[in-house]
Amino acid sequence: MGLLMKCTFLTSCLFVGWSVTIVKCSTYPPEVRGDGALNAPSPPLDSESPALQARSLGFFYSLSLSSTFPDDLEVNEYCIEMLHVFGQRYVAYANCLVSYARPIKICQNCYTGFNSLVEIYTNISSDQLGPGNVSCHDSLMRSDRLMLLYTLFIKLDEIWTIAGCKQCLNENQDTLSNDTIYFMASLNLSLTCFEKFQGNHSELCKDCKLSYKRLNELYGKMEENQTLCIDIEDAMNMTRRLWSKNFGCSVPREETVPVIAVSCFMLFLPIIFYLSSFLHSEQKKRKLIHPNRAKSSSSLMNIQDKFS
Amino acid sequence: MANIAKKVSWSGRGDDRGERTPLLNGAEEVKYNNRQISGGSIFHIGRLSTVDLEEEITPEEDIVRSRPKEIPHNEKLLSLKYESLDYDNSENQLFLEEERRMSHMGFGCLEIKRWVICGLIGFLTGLIACFIDIVVENLAGFKYFLVKQNIVKFTEVGGLSISLILWAVLNSAFVMVGAIIVAFIEPIAAGSGIPQIKCYLNGVKVPRVVRLKTLVVKVLGVIFSVAGGLAVGKEGPMIHSGAVVAAGVSQGRSTSLKKDFKMFEYFRRDTEKRDFVSAGAAAGVSAAFGAPVGGVLFSLEEGASFWNQMLTWRIFFASMISTFTLNFFLSIYHKKPGELSSPGLINFGRFDSDIVEYNLYEIPLFIIMGALGGLLGALFNVLNYWLTIFRIRYVHRPCLQVMESMLVAAVTATVSFAMIYFSNDCQPLGPDHNEEYPLQLFCSDGEYNSMATAFFNTPERSVRSLFHNPPGTYNPLTLGVFTLVYFFLAVWTYGLTVSAGVFIPSLLIGAAWGRLFGILLSFIASSQSIWADPGKYALIGAAAQLGGIVRMTLSLTVIMVEATGNVTYGFPIMLVLMTAKIVGDYFAEGLYDIHIKLQSVPFLHWEAPHTSHWLTAREVMSSPVTCFNQVDKVGTIVDVLSNTSTNHNGFPVVVHSTGSDEPGKLCGLILRSQLIVLLKHKVFVERASSRLTQRKLQLKDFRDAYPRFPPIQSIHVSQDERECMMDLTEFMNPTPYTVPQETSLPRVFKLFRALGLRHLVVIDSENMVVGLVSRKDLARYHLGKHGLEELHLAQT
Repeated sequence: MGLLMKCTFLTSCLFVGWSVTIVKCSTYPPEVRGDGALNAPSPPLDSESPALQARSLGFFYSLSLSSTFPDDLEVNEYCIEMLHVFGQRYVAYANCLVSYARPIKICQNCYTGFNSLVEIYTNISSDQLGPGNVSCHDSLMRSDRLMLLYTLFIKLDEIWTIAGCKQCLNENQDTLSNDTIYFMASLNLSLTCFEKFQGNHSELCKDCKLSYKRLNELYGKMEENQTLCIDIEDAMNMTRRLWSKNFGCSVPREETVPVIAVSCFMLFLPIIFYLSSFLHSEQKKRKLIHPNRAKSSSSLMNIQDKFS
Repeated sequence: MANIAKKVSWSGRGDDRGERTPLLNGAEEVKYNNRQISGGSIFHIGRLSTVDLEEEITPEEDIVRSRPKEIPHNEKLLSLKYESLDYDNSENQLFLEEERRMSHMGFGCLEIKRWVICGLIGFLTGLIACFIDIVVENLAGFKYFLVKQNIVKFTEVGGLSISLILWAVLNSAFVMVGAIIVAFIEPIAAGSGIPQIKCYLNGVKVPRVVRLKTLVVKVLGVIFSVAGGLAVGKEGPMIHSGAVVAAGVSQGRSTSLKKDFKMFEYFRRDTEKRDFVSAGAAAGVSAAFGAPVGGVLFSLEEGASFWNQMLTWRIFFASMISTFTLNFFLSIYHKKPGELSSPGLINFGRFDSDIVEYNLYEIPLFIIMGALGGLLGALFNVLNYWLTIFRIRYVHRPCLQVMESMLVAAVTATVSFAMIYFSNDCQPLGPDHNEEYPLQLFCSDGEYNSMATAFFNTPERSVRSLFHNPPGTYNPLTLGVFTLVYFFLAVWTYGLTVSAGVFIPSLLIGAAWGRLFGILLSFIASSQSIWADPGKYALIGAAAQLGGIVRMTLSLTVIMVEATGNVTYGFPIMLVLMTAKIVGDYFAEGLYDIHIKLQSVPFLHWEAPHTSHWLTAREVMSSPVTCFNQVDKVGTIVDVLSNTSTNHNGFPVVVHSTGSDEPGKLCGLILRSQLIVLLKHKVFVERASSRLTQRKLQLKDFRDAYPRFPPIQSIHVSQDERECMMDLTEFMNPTPYTVPQETSLPRVFKLFRALGLRHLVVIDSENMVVGLVSRKDLARYHLGKHGLEELHLAQT
């Protein structure tokens, strides 16, 4: 296919698609088009047409390449539009993720972005025919081995799934669930309490215990119901660390003496048991039995003689 | 132990040779023996003299001579209560007739029946394994849930000693139930059962070992002892359970339930039954470890003397069915019906391919670990040996045994609790919750106590977490303390009167120090990433420790490979087990062998002891032999059989040339069981002539009485009948195996081991009976530290 393809490629590049590309170029920003056209850069093109190199190289690339295909392989205008929208939403969502990475609050803040991204992706990947009876699914997603749209989307979707954000949103995934809001409220309650007693840890441990404990219980309940997402887990983790490490409010090891006493008592029992059974129990004796070996005496003697 | 230490030789020569009887003595010994023999009749006492007495010589010493001598139990005894199995087929006339009557089809049917039985064995064994697994999981889950709740409650408000007591009491309660049923109902069900099955496959009839009652007690006992938190596993007992199932199914009836299904009657003899029992043992191993091939090899390793290829294939079938059944029912239990990939009772989990890899330079490390395993295993065995001797001597009453078990359970809980309480090793909770019952105690919120994953768990789960938890889950101190404590707990626990196995505790100890080894390695060479994963070393350590304790070779390698589900480790595991065996054997015997010895079982090893070629059948045999005539008086037979002092089982049948005193010419061999059946059916010469209508005795009558032949006392023989005659010609085995007097011990031994004989008649050149060699005559020779030694027969 190599040689023939190249020939068609060159000819169409030079003569046919010129004017069409100009039009397209003015309609769409170049980076979107670049996505579609990147798969066929051709070095011979550059060397054989030095005159064209004089223009802006990247611009020309995209122009000429996308314009070279025959009509039936051409990416439909509607699809290019979709692609554009996808790009914008993608960037917006990724931006949101990054800006809420630490302390992690992605579920609370990025769900709208994610929802719109999912929407456009579902549109693209559905088999529904758009205007002009074309399906963007094939042309945008399955034309090359990279399957860029799919890979890009799947990665972000994976992040969303691992984070478990679905559990923190309501059924339609359009607002935060009541549980989450309630948890955030009680978290704030604890945190304000922590702030109030900043500097006096023993006081803090005593006074904030109630709200902290309630928060902990709430968390435990949500864990059982599997309504946790990364935001809540992280917030709880941080609070716990504050509570245990920074403020040192863990339970202290206090009753060492009773535990040691009971343990010693328990360990003492077997010693008594074995001693008493050794002293009082009757030792088991075995009765020896002498088998009949009428000739064994003489034969044994014979052997002794043999060896001596 | 004081009594062992205080040895005063009765003969006053002050030697310290313990209770052994030298066969080959030095010059001094010869003189000594000659002196004794010159005394003529007092030779027996001379023989006795090498057996040390416990006490100082007392004036009553003379009385001692006249009554049977008593010594404390030790491992150098052979018990009279064990008998051989009749593996050798008695080719008497009845047998030949039956064979003639049977058509070609009949034999085909038998073959099919054998396959059906093997399938059933596998199925039932799998079911039992499934039952044990589910019940243990639930009971232990309930217990840990209760204790955990209690601990959580008391961590905050104080009073953790109450949790400790609760845990100890729960443990003791479970173990008490388990110990009571074992100690009072069926003591043979104690322990792992592997030594017993080993003996059975070796050809020793261990009383009550394959009964239904034993099975029930075994299964319940295992459940309670594992749920009771002892340092035990449920795998060893599975092997015993499989064997009992096999023995029961193949007979088509239960003598305990007095129910006869009239099936599989042809298989009612020792020869056939033992084949099935080996299949059952294999099915048990296969269910326990998910290792069908390992199961077959286990049977092969333990019962290798009587084997044929067809049997191997059938046993493999039984093993596979057993694994399949277990998987199938567990998949239903776990609500994923049809998913058949979960392995056996112990689930070691799968080793991922990226941590599986090992490198050439790790091989020496593995060998070092093997040697370490051998050393620790030998230590384990020696400690357990002393403990077991003490138990046999002093803790022999059932109520004491129950108390001991309960104490061990309580102490196990106490020690575990103390370990957890004082441990400072806190680890963050993982996202996927490997820990079944995470305990927080004094750790920060969101963390759990790392010691608790090892102690506050069934041993099996602990093994799994040691294998698979990611690096950094345990800190070295935790592992070190855990290994030490668990080692002693396991030593203490094995040999209690509860039914429980030693596989899992061994694996757990090994996995703990193996993981520790791995962690230390990665400290030394932090750059090498291949040493970073301690799970691999945990596996190798587990193999080394187990090999060092039980000393199984081929089957254990395959079991480990199959249980972990990858062949990549085959070579290291084999190396490790070899090293462990070599190093361990240098110091002490395998645990099962020690227990077999302590049970005074006449066990025949693979070969006769070395340096025994100079012993001939003449020295080995028992003599004189009680013989019967071809046609003998009923009275004589009854008298011989009911003589309690001579508990003979096989009687050579002879023809006297001229009614003289000298022993007659050998013409056959008849067994006690056969004689009893004959007496029961009153097959007397006089009767036969008077009652022609009487049905002729068939082989079936012998099979119906099997395996519990009534004792001679229960058979009533009137004074008239005593005068009758009995013709044994038809029933005796006309061609028993015989050897000349000069045959060496190893030759006799080989015959016994290879053919599974019970009696071997020793004849002279005239075909006159001079003696009879039985299993106990052979088993008493063994190679001790001072050369060939002889064991004593004793009543136990």
